[in-house]
Amino acid sequence: MAKTILIVDDSASLRQVVAIALRGAGYEVLEGCDGRDALGKLDGRKVHLIISDVNMPNMDGISFVKAVKQLPAYRFTPVIMLTTEAGEDKKREGQAAGAKAWVVKPFQPQQMLGAVAKLVLP
Amino acid sequence: MTDHFEDPLQTFIAESRELLQQMEDALLEVEGNADDPETINAIFRAAHTIKGSAGLFSLDHIVAFTHVAESVLDRIRAHQLAFEPAFGALFLEVCDQLGALIDGLAAGEAPDDAISARSTALTARLQAVLDRGATPGAQSAGTDAAVAGNPAEHLMAAGADTVASGLWHVSMRPGADLLRNGMDPLSILNYLGTLGEIVSLETVIGGVPPLSALDPETCYLGFDLSFASQADAATVNGAFDFVREDSLVRIIPPYGPLDDYRALVRDLPDDKLLLGEMLVRCGSLTADELALALRTQEARAEACQITGELPPLIGEVLVEQQLVDAPLVDAALDHQQEARKARAGEPTLIRVDAAKLDQLINLVGELIIAGAGAQLVARRVKVPALVEATGVLSRLVEDVRDSALNLRMVQIGATFSRFRRVVRDVAAELGKDIQLDIRGGETELDKTVVEKIGDPLTHIVRNALDHGIEPADVRAARGKPRQGRLSLNAYHESGSIVIEVSDDGGGLRKERILQKAVERGLVGEGQVLSDKEIFGLVFEPGFSTAAQVSNLSGRGVGMDVVKRNILALRGTVDLDSVEGQGTTVRLRLPLTLAIIEGFLIGAGSASYVVPLEQVLECIELPEKDKPEQGASYLNLRGEVLPFVRLRDLFDIPGEAPRRENVVVVQYAGERAGLVVDQLFGEFQTVIKPLGKVFSHIRCIGGSTILGSGEVALILDVPGLVRQVTERQPVSRHLSSTLSAA
Repeated sequence: MAKTILIVDDSASLRQVVAIALRGAGYEVLEGCDGRDALGKLDGRKVHLIISDVNMPNMDGISFVKAVKQLPAYRFTPVIMLTTEAGEDKKREGQAAGAKAWVVKPFQPQQMLGAVAKLVLP
Repeated sequence: MTDHFEDPLQTFIAESRELLQQMEDALLEVEGNADDPETINAIFRAAHTIKGSAGLFSLDHIVAFTHVAESVLDRIRAHQLAFEPAFGALFLEVCDQLGALIDGLAAGEAPDDAISARSTALTARLQAVLDRGATPGAQSAGTDAAVAGNPAEHLMAAGADTVASGLWHVSMRPGADLLRNGMDPLSILNYLGTLGEIVSLETVIGGVPPLSALDPETCYLGFDLSFASQADAATVNGAFDFVREDSLVRIIPPYGPLDDYRALVRDLPDDKLLLGEMLVRCGSLTADELALALRTQEARAEACQITGELPPLIGEVLVEQQLVDAPLVDAALDHQQEARKARAGEPTLIRVDAAKLDQLINLVGELIIAGAGAQLVARRVKVPALVEATGVLSRLVEDVRDSALNLRMVQIGATFSRFRRVVRDVAAELGKDIQLDIRGGETELDKTVVEKIGDPLTHIVRNALDHGIEPADVRAARGKPRQGRLSLNAYHESGSIVIEVSDDGGGLRKERILQKAVERGLVGEGQVLSDKEIFGLVFEPGFSTAAQVSNLSGRGVGMDVVKRNILALRGTVDLDSVEGQGTTVRLRLPLTLAIIEGFLIGAGSASYVVPLEQVLECIELPEKDKPEQGASYLNLRGEVLPFVRLRDLFDIPGEAPRRENVVVVQYAGERAGLVVDQLFGEFQTVIKPLGKVFSHIRCIGGSTILGSGEVALILDVPGLVRQVTERQPVSRHLSSTLSAA
């Protein structure tokens, strides 16, 4: 059965490109346009990996990860944070919140697939 | 997948326009209320999101432009920078510019020069804001970030390079919280499986507690595995990137391909001299392993301080920890030694303003004249101590002169190398296949000369490419290799530098040149010319034999300009050609333009200087050997030597002394004798150029000031030799012109 990945980012085009790449590699993809929206998607279905941006409206990535870690069904779900070159502090904050993996923006779809494969193979 | 890319790009364009609109609204709002963090954040987020998405589409120009804007906004957001009123206008411009870039994208056009220039200008203004606001803390955050950007980059981009075969040994002791952090050791094993084959896997279960104490969320297991992969160290290490923080991971690269590593170490550039860095560069060690080893070394060194033992070397630590194989460490150390040796021999360079050098040369020139003056006075007063002192002085001055001139000497290699591009481009334009050979690039000559030969050399090279070397088909038909060959060569020869441009093309057709010369009235009908003279015609103004005028050359300007330029440098140009086999153009240039070692001679009341390097020998002209009046050849030990009397040449009045001398000079393989009254000996000469008035005079290359303050003329030996061997009448006005000066 295909593994499911939740991608959370306020940029629709980024979600779209990542989703195309991930689907191409054989994953199932859910999308959330910010933290609050994404939490709504975590409705009990199995999610194998979460990819989340940090800076988003309504609920930012750090708060989102902290909230995910409070959900019994999802607290072991690995999280890849999307950080920027200037986001070293944010990265540490994210790691403390429980997002141990990260990918630096801007990235190429292929790089994202490489990082995802280390955590979840399709 | 790429088929779908059109759609996300449209999404990106629409999304970016929306974000820009939001950014603009927020900017207008912030003008009245600069303190609202959410408004500032909205502006930042717009830039941030556009940059992040643009990166996905490889829109590097948008990423680069947005990056600086984002950095400034980030500072403002972090209160490291106050939002000044001027920023509103600046970011509105940024907004417009981004809009223009997005519009260009929507239209499917690459940004034109005007848009790019605006990007550059805005980037510079933003950068200025960044630089102004840079605090030490902020700066270090910047560098941190740059470093932080790297691991992700290399771990994801790497993988193409294969350096090794054989088995990797990986030992992993996951941290207890690994599972709670969402990391599954199994997924890492699975991932390793995609890089190669896991040959053996041993699970270490020593840490598993009794069932009653077992916490199902805690990871107790460890793994030791052997792993066959062609991936390099960075890729294999990358597999553990996300777990390294919580876990203990040791990776031992395969021992098998030691020779590969050795070769890699040998091929490393010499700039990296640290052993650890070298090993990291060749892929046998990772940066993390190195850091670990360095920490171990440090700890060990502290311990050694107490015990009084010698602290361990990093190589020893690496071998001991089985991170690197001992022979590889040896190979790296050898390379390090060699590099250090090479470094010791490498000159350190200082950049000096050329004008300062010129001033130095001028001063040295004055020093030489003053020194010669002092020596003259010393000889006249005949005080031995003074003569000796001035002798020492003049020797030192000579050394100073040589050193000063040497400062201006540069290798011609850089000039030659420029022609690689010229040859490549021109050959492509002409549709010919031409190889460029460069020899003698290390030959040195004066900087001024180097600067001035660029253009003439380009002319000659283009001529050779265009007219010299035939198209491949013609070459094949003539039984030559299809690829044409052009060679540039430089070497020193009797105080000059010779630069040769040779091609293996069709060569010059003598009859055609002659025919053309007759048409142009340069040569009389039926006149017999030597090969050299015929080829010399090519350098006459307005002379071109090319059947077709091409874009590159053949317009009849060129070779005469070349000749004029070279003559202006006191050089000569000549040409050799064999029809069907190729042409060689030879430039001879003086090594330096400023100072020469001269030989002082006298004729009548005037003194003349011959560049010493062109003097072969001096002989007395015995009464009995005196040539008859009107003769132009001497018998020099049985050889024919054409000669000229300086008295005749310069129309010096009065009788020649009973005993005359012959100075035998040589230039470009031709010899000639100069009959003079007196020989004064060697003399350092600072060349002062003659004014434009005298530019038409042949046989005089310049003037100089003697120690006594008198002016001496410097003979232009190439001109003289030509004059003597070709027997052309000299301007009779010469001496009168000079005396009028």
